[in-house]
Amino acid sequence: MMIMKKTHIKKLVFTLFSLFALSCSSDLDFNQANELLLEPVIVANLTYFDIAAPQFVTNGVENNLLFDAQDFDVFRDSFFRDNLKRADFYFEISNTISRAYTINILLLDKNDQILYTIPMTVPAYTGSENVVKTTEIFENNKLALLKSTKRMAFMLTMAPGTPLTANSPGNLKLKSSATVYLEIK
Amino acid sequence: MRIKYLLLLLIVSFSSLSQNKQILYNFTSIPQSMMSNPGADVKYKYYFGVPLLSGISANVGSTGFSAYDLYAKNDVNFNTKLRQVVNSVSRNDKLLVNEQVELFAGGFQLGNWEKKGYVSFGMYQEFDFVSYMPKDFAIIALDGNRDHIGKVFNLGDLNMKTEMLSVLHIGYHKNLNENFIVGGRAKLYSSAFNAQTTNNSGYIYTIPGENTIYEQVIYSDLELNTSGVAKYFEDDYEGDAASDIMKKTLFGGNLGLGFDAGFTYYPKKNTQITASITDVGFIKHSKAVKTFTYKGYYKYEGVNPNFDTANNSGSTYEEFQNAIPYDSVYTKYTTWRPAKLNASYQYSFDESRAADCNCSGEENEYKSAVGGQLFVMTLPRKPIMALTAYYQRQLVKNLNVKATYTVDSFSYTNIGLGLSAQIGKLNMYLLADNLLEYRDVSKANSLSFQFGFNFIFKEVNE
Repeated sequence: MMIMKKTHIKKLVFTLFSLFALSCSSDLDFNQANELLLEPVIVANLTYFDIAAPQFVTNGVENNLLFDAQDFDVFRDSFFRDNLKRADFYFEISNTISRAYTINILLLDKNDQILYTIPMTVPAYTGSENVVKTTEIFENNKLALLKSTKRMAFMLTMAPGTPLTANSPGNLKLKSSATVYLEIK
Repeated sequence: MRIKYLLLLLIVSFSSLSQNKQILYNFTSIPQSMMSNPGADVKYKYYFGVPLLSGISANVGSTGFSAYDLYAKNDVNFNTKLRQVVNSVSRNDKLLVNEQVELFAGGFQLGNWEKKGYVSFGMYQEFDFVSYMPKDFAIIALDGNRDHIGKVFNLGDLNMKTEMLSVLHIGYHKNLNENFIVGGRAKLYSSAFNAQTTNNSGYIYTIPGENTIYEQVIYSDLELNTSGVAKYFEDDYEGDAASDIMKKTLFGGNLGLGFDAGFTYYPKKNTQITASITDVGFIKHSKAVKTFTYKGYYKYEGVNPNFDTANNSGSTYEEFQNAIPYDSVYTKYTTWRPAKLNASYQYSFDESRAADCNCSGEENEYKSAVGGQLFVMTLPRKPIMALTAYYQRQLVKNLNVKATYTVDSFSYTNIGLGLSAQIGKLNMYLLADNLLEYRDVSKANSLSFQFGFNFIFKEVNE
């Protein structure tokens, strides 16, 4: 009786263990995680302004040149800097002022030296809104310039024409976005 | 690189319906069944577990995807597989890991043979990890936002907690009368480390804008509580993290208290009802605590030149950092243990004939039983639940088997088998579930096993 019991137990234990031993598994390759490559494409606002015609007039005198520089320090973030593969800057200018403009966007380095200039022109308003669209693509060497950018300057030059007054109608507007292509290994 | 490791950690730590020990529950020839019901009908004169080997259990698995989905050795690119996994899971899919090792365990009988009470005690080490799938975070990491204009990304998708602790416990169960047994167990928790981020909210969205190309808003209310973790990430840490954690698991962690309670009731001789609630308890984290927060609101418009005055309106990066500051504070916090509820109904049949009785006082009067069990466990979002049907049989004296069929959110085809054998005074048991998955473990969504060795000295009623 005792012997029989023991054989039973042995048999069962054997069956249970062989179940584990006989278990199968498809081939897995955990090393392929090294191939991990994230390629998110992120869109974000870049810059904008909205200038009314009278802003080009100071004390009754026309001011043909407006200038301002702003910090642009997104590249301070090393993660962003290291993984950026390409950036597209998109600009959309609309003009309802009866003068033509040249808009230069300057990328400045930490010493305020110009790294790159994005020039755009928009014709004078003659009854229908002028919309000018530009896309600037930064890759390779051009991207390296962008990565050293610390400040962004805006230089607005007004072309000659009928003088503006404090009551002149219209606006010069800029909207802009960036599409950034990251590659994270 | 760090991000990669984090991702890997999340993906590798796939696991299962943690802590549903459906085979062990009410399998009363195994003393460890008292750990899931302190009122289990377990009888002994005294017993002790083989140190470190009396109770070892682990669970692996996940809802949503299997190791095969991600790591199959085939021609499909890993990134394609990752994308398929992210697309197929929902934010409520979860990864759960649970591991327990009993360091020591024992018990003895108290009182005379009429009014018997049983004491049981021990200590075990436990590791828990639970994380929901941070689906929206994964989409941002994989795709970015360009192809998701208008989508509101939910920052509440980040929901995770993990803990390493030891539990010192003492329990008592007693026959109130012939057919009613109640029991309770007090627990002292010592947490070596804890990290949890379970009450997050917030959103990120990008929609077409008016004066700017987009309207982009981040609202973030993220908080990660940690205790016993921060120092391992400090630059000047020079110890051995594994041994430091082990030391703290046993001594000097953050302390907490909890209890288990349960009963077994026989309305009729062949009918049994049991129920228990375990790990109702908390841990107060006050030593080595550190809480990290990202809280704030930021509407991103881009650089806005000001042509009227010369002042500089400031930098966008700094503006963002000020709006949603990354902060770390040292605040105490309390965590709750995942409470578990078990209940069963059992019908016994196939009465042992008197001839089989060797009058040793064994009360296994029926050889076979069928029954049903319910398991519920609290999780950060909502409880998980499992239903089990089982068949239990005494094959020969001292050899019991239990077969289970379990339905839960991980699987509808979970078949388990448990074996408990008594050879002399030595009791050994081996329980495993999801047996069908052993045909190809890489495709399994969950696997769990328990095994251990005890020495049991039965009471003798002559």
